[in-house]
Amino acid sequence: MIEVHGVAKSFAAPAPARRGFADAWRGLARQRKDERQKVHAVRDVSFTAHGGQITGLLGPNGAGKTTTLRMLAALITPDAGTMSVDGIDVAKRPREVLARMGVLSDARGLYPRLTARENIVYYGALQGMERDAADARAQDLARMFDMTALLDRRSAGFSQGERMKTALVRALVHDPANIVLDEPTNGLDVLATRALRESLRWLRTPAGGSKCIVFSTHIMQEVERLCDSVVVVAHGRTVAAGTVAELLERTGESDFEEAFVKLAFVPERAGEGGAA
Amino acid sequence: MMRGAAAALVVLRKELADALRDRRTLATVLVSSVLMGPLVLLAISGLVATLESRAEQREVYVAGLAHAPTLRNYLERQTYTVKEAPADFEARLRSSKFSDPVVVVPDDFETALVRGDVPVVEIVSDSANQRSEASTGRIERLLGGFSRERALLSLALRGVSVQLLEPMQIEDRDLASTQTRATRITGMLPYFVMMAVLYGALNAALDTTAGERERGSLEPLLMNPAERWALVAGKWGAVACVSMLIAVLSSFSFLPGQWVLRSDTLAAMFQYGLREALLFLVVLLPLAAALAAVLMAVAIRSKTFKEAQASATIVVLAVSLLPLVNLFELGGEAPWHLWVPALAQNTLMTRILKGEDLGLAQVIVPLSVCVLLTAVGVWYVARQLRQAALK
Repeated sequence: MIEVHGVAKSFAAPAPARRGFADAWRGLARQRKDERQKVHAVRDVSFTAHGGQITGLLGPNGAGKTTTLRMLAALITPDAGTMSVDGIDVAKRPREVLARMGVLSDARGLYPRLTARENIVYYGALQGMERDAADARAQDLARMFDMTALLDRRSAGFSQGERMKTALVRALVHDPANIVLDEPTNGLDVLATRALRESLRWLRTPAGGSKCIVFSTHIMQEVERLCDSVVVVAHGRTVAAGTVAELLERTGESDFEEAFVKLAFVPERAGEGGAA
Repeated sequence: MMRGAAAALVVLRKELADALRDRRTLATVLVSSVLMGPLVLLAISGLVATLESRAEQREVYVAGLAHAPTLRNYLERQTYTVKEAPADFEARLRSSKFSDPVVVVPDDFETALVRGDVPVVEIVSDSANQRSEASTGRIERLLGGFSRERALLSLALRGVSVQLLEPMQIEDRDLASTQTRATRITGMLPYFVMMAVLYGALNAALDTTAGERERGSLEPLLMNPAERWALVAGKWGAVACVSMLIAVLSSFSFLPGQWVLRSDTLAAMFQYGLREALLFLVVLLPLAAALAAVLMAVAIRSKTFKEAQASATIVVLAVSLLPLVNLFELGGEAPWHLWVPALAQNTLMTRILKGEDLGLAQVIVPLSVCVLLTAVGVWYVARQLRQAALK
């Protein structure tokens, strides 16, 4: 189970392009002076994701989905709010949290000189698994994601879809109870997307381990087809949460796309919808 | 802690496998470092051999030989072969096609000599033409001998004792041992070895830091429960291993390198055995470790491999310029030399080549500097790692 309560994070605005030392120095001086303008990437995001369910984090580009998931993975320290995974506080025991979580992040680079299997086993070993166990698990997952033929090829020549599959298997190698996926369908073709959807559905079932799955996307068809519950994020806030049916009912729309646009793209509603 | 060490080992193993699979880069570095020893020795021995053969040939080129039978007689009595210089010797000296200095005798040499008019004899060489410059001293001494003989003869004819003219006798006594003398020639070897170690570390260091950022594999890596210091320690260990491997190979490459020495004198002077190779390693291994950490610290700030290469130029420049303090012998050897990385190693390796023993203090100071550099570098990379993963 993943619980996120009222997290917020702001960053210093990116510095204007600098050329040369004099410019860089001036930039530094300016930064000290006015502490720089802040960009609020996440203002107030809350949601709860349960085991055996797929929770969709739906929001337009720049809504703060990736930042939220990075905070969940202890990569960024939030300015405010609390997060816990299976009751373990992310801020206090980040390593225990990471051991119970498989994260497919926005960046999903592989090591091109290693084979898919070596890429996967490396992460298994970093999770503290025995090499044999990690290897066996890689084999199992590869069968599930239909990539057995890829296992012993170097990842240098992989297609986008092959790379995604490898990265996904790599994130799942330690059989985590919680799975967090950041825009997993980016760059995948129809067949690969469909295969991924099937795999996620299976992971949700008791046979697949009743995983708690959170995935972020800006594609509502994904959400409609897959999610047990939806969290709509816009302008760094949770603006609505519920099942697809509940959200349709709440907005009085029959088309989910219309409902999403109504929820996510109306700036004035942003403040009210915070309660998830 | 135990878990951290285990994770560091996992990272070390993976990074080593990764680095060793980068065959092309590795091959370039290996070939250049292993072949370097023999090649440098070959070049040096070739140079020394030509100098030696020139000295043995005892030849002197004279322009206007016909005007100076007396001089010719003297030179031939010194068992020199006197040869008429080619007509265009100036142009040929300038273009380095001619490698001997030329003695130019004026037309009225003989008559002026008899009259006591002090004729002017020129020794023409080109200071840009190093080989001709090298023999100038020899010719100068030769002509000086002629002058002295003439003076002594004419004074003896007038009944003046020879001892009056030379109230003291000058004899050379060179304190340098054969090995010390050899370092004048082999002095650049430590420099080449250090550059090999540096370039050995360079690629691996950049690949595990900036390369990891560029591939987008750093962010997922940090989403593992391993401690950051463990990740960095593993990476550093791998880079240091590669660079130490190069250090070992290039130090030992001078052992077979000796077989190719063409000059017997040089072979006798260049004493490089197992003892020297092992002492080289004592000096080089800490440097390899420190360079690995420093290069990683410089590269972790760069988003791409290319950007990191540009930043690493500073390190490369420092390592290549600092030993020059030694080479130019600015103010001789000073105690602070041992505190400066690269310079210290160069100083110590030069001493090893001279056949001197290393004192404990001389090893401890550069060693602690290297340990400190390593610690700072690794700490800095660990500190920057999370931030680096995000951008």
